[in-house]
Amino acid sequence: MEEFTNIFVGEETVKADSKIIYDIAIIGAGPGGLTAGIYAGRSRLKTLIFERLSPGGQIAVSDQVDNYPGFPEGISGKELTDRMEKQAVRFGAEIVPDEVRKIKKEGNLFELETASSGIVKSKAVIIATGADPVKLPVPEEEKFRGRGISYCATCDAAFFKDKTVAVVGGGDTAIADAIYLTKFAKEVIVVHRRDQLRAVKALQEEAFENPKIKFQWNSVSEHVIGENKVEGLEVKNVKTGEKVLLKVDGIFVAIGTVPNSNIVKGLVELNEKGFIKTNQNRETSVKGLFAVGDVRDTPLRQVVTAAGDGAIAEFSAENYIKNLEYIER
Amino acid sequence: MEKLLKEKDEKYIKDLFSSKLESEVELVLFLQSEGGDKVTKFNSQYLPYTEEILKELVSLSDKLTLTVYKDDKEKEEEYGVEQISALFVEGKNTNKNVIYYGIPSGHEFSSLLEDIIDASRGTTELSDKTKAELKRITSPTEILVFVTPSCPYCPRAVRTAHQMAMENNNIKGVMIEANEFPEWSQKYSVYAVPKVVINDNVQFEGALPEDAYLENVLKGAGKIILE
Repeated sequence: MEEFTNIFVGEETVKADSKIIYDIAIIGAGPGGLTAGIYAGRSRLKTLIFERLSPGGQIAVSDQVDNYPGFPEGISGKELTDRMEKQAVRFGAEIVPDEVRKIKKEGNLFELETASSGIVKSKAVIIATGADPVKLPVPEEEKFRGRGISYCATCDAAFFKDKTVAVVGGGDTAIADAIYLTKFAKEVIVVHRRDQLRAVKALQEEAFENPKIKFQWNSVSEHVIGENKVEGLEVKNVKTGEKVLLKVDGIFVAIGTVPNSNIVKGLVELNEKGFIKTNQNRETSVKGLFAVGDVRDTPLRQVVTAAGDGAIAEFSAENYIKNLEYIER
Repeated sequence: MEKLLKEKDEKYIKDLFSSKLESEVELVLFLQSEGGDKVTKFNSQYLPYTEEILKELVSLSDKLTLTVYKDDKEKEEEYGVEQISALFVEGKNTNKNVIYYGIPSGHEFSSLLEDIIDASRGTTELSDKTKAELKRITSPTEILVFVTPSCPYCPRAVRTAHQMAMENNNIKGVMIEANEFPEWSQKYSVYAVPKVVINDNVQFEGALPEDAYLENVLKGAGKIILE
């Protein structure tokens, strides 16, 4: 019962005002963007947070977050980011359900081209656009996406009640997904290209103890088989070259992320994988433009590091704005 | 039954409604007794909860009313009810065309709150361009949006369909909670949500921004896309 009587109320959203100049425009309402919003609101800066999908970012689809300090029993990703959202709104940050498509710097002002709010101007910008899941590298991905291939276990697990599913990947997300899926599926096969998992030990132990989870080690996905929907996943053993057809009805993919850095391509320096380079102040190669969280070139992508980034970036942005006003005077 | 809305959420919604609602909004809920022709064996257990959530919700503003029709064939026909539960949001800019099949809980609860506000004020926040393009739709057009309550990307897809329905009453915006209606979902091969089906002939998966969403709706309604 609890599954469907769990109610999320959400926060009120607003429209961006194209006639005023905002102090800080934050792009993305995941943990990084929301934390920057909390800090900016407390500094009484005129702050906007753009969100194109739904506040919370990638972690909002995590059933259980056990490594964010202050929640000894763990907390669902959505509940955690709902709280951050409320906190940001409490201090005056405004959340705008819109997509920023392009960023330009004209003199000392940033101009954000949006999908439905026109051009929005701000003194500083914090990019918190996060990352998207890497697509399953098989020729049939597009054909079966939404027809058995899924990138969101909490969204789609219910369609695989008493079925067999594969989870591709061996990191935290993959293993947490596999554990969550056992609430619905009768069997979960973890397909991983190495002979050991990359996920944190605590998750590994939980997965190894779960009788519904099986492992297909040293294996990479080659083909998805099926008529109109997924009926099997053909994997190849990277050591022996042997091919195996796993009879599965669903394939959940968690093999890493690609940064959502398109809107600043050509504007700021990116690393070879497309993540935004910053200095320790979280400032990019463009003055007044900052980056936080998963879209940033960083060794660890977690809620806690994104939140830390958000605080630092807001602090730096605030100093940048003060300095700007000083020079202008 | 235990109360479903938490106290702090109730307070938030009360304040929200008192500052935002203008004219009255009627929530029309259709139910059937167990074994009814439009109840599935998967969803009879949800019905009391659906009714309870709505009862609690309308108690938070005197501008809201809840009308429940149970086993009422005549009214079902009048509203064009296809499955049970069916919820219609009736306000200034709607005409039996903003619909929820199944429980509006989880993430979809916020869709319902926003729908109520829009229906009360008779406005939506769709862009002017979208509003103008929607005027071109002159024949009945149905947007089905399949969701699960645990999908954070789904409310945006539901809201867009409902806002479009409010802007143009030729459009029916229909949320379908996939867990409650597995046969309906199977008919459209729903294995991932949100999944949007327009007039049975155009469909897409995932959350699309407003302009791309509109393009699909126009295509589904048989309109040529103008640049």
